[in-house]
Amino acid sequence: MMTLSRQQTPSGRRYVLRTFAFMAPYVAICVAMMTTDAFDGVMGKPAGWVLAAAVSAPVIGQIWATLALMRESDEFVRMVTAKQFIIASGMAMAVATFWGFGESFAGAPHLPAWLIYPLFWAAFGLASPFIRTSN
Amino acid sequence: MRNRLKLLRVERNWTQEQLGQALGVSRQAVNALETEKHDPSLDLAYRIAALFERPIEDIFDNPHI
Repeated sequence: MMTLSRQQTPSGRRYVLRTFAFMAPYVAICVAMMTTDAFDGVMGKPAGWVLAAAVSAPVIGQIWATLALMRESDEFVRMVTAKQFIIASGMAMAVATFWGFGESFAGAPHLPAWLIYPLFWAAFGLASPFIRTSN
Repeated sequence: MRNRLKLLRVERNWTQEQLGQALGVSRQAVNALETEKHDPSLDLAYRIAALFERPIEDIFDNPHI
């Protein structure tokens, strides 16, 4: 996810490019999993763990991209970015915890744990426009 | 933190972009300083003071006195 301000600096432009680079394989694997039977053959086999590692690697890459943005930016951008990620992470963890306990104790239907990542970005998109100060 | 950064910048006919380049920060950071949405670090406050050749107290109000 990006904001206009991130695109206006060289470090921001690098962040956007890195984000797209890491998002593309993640989205491609998720879309392939949801819309085709391309991965049915690895179910229950060690290759399933390879698939799991392949889809989680871009998540780690995105964290690196975020840390790189903070390292390459000025103190204001660094602080705002940190606030945005902390709040988005907190919102995603709160929703995941709520739903997890709902599954265990309130009969909520099961949702796969990998949804935490899109949930994080949804929270980031919702929260970021309102986080414009470092104070 | 209340400050006179915008006044000092406008006196010199600088844009936020130009001031940001002189200070080594983004235009967004200059805007945030001017609109009191960011309290500068001591290092940045000293850089601003050096650029305008004034003591920090002439640019930023001390909120503790």
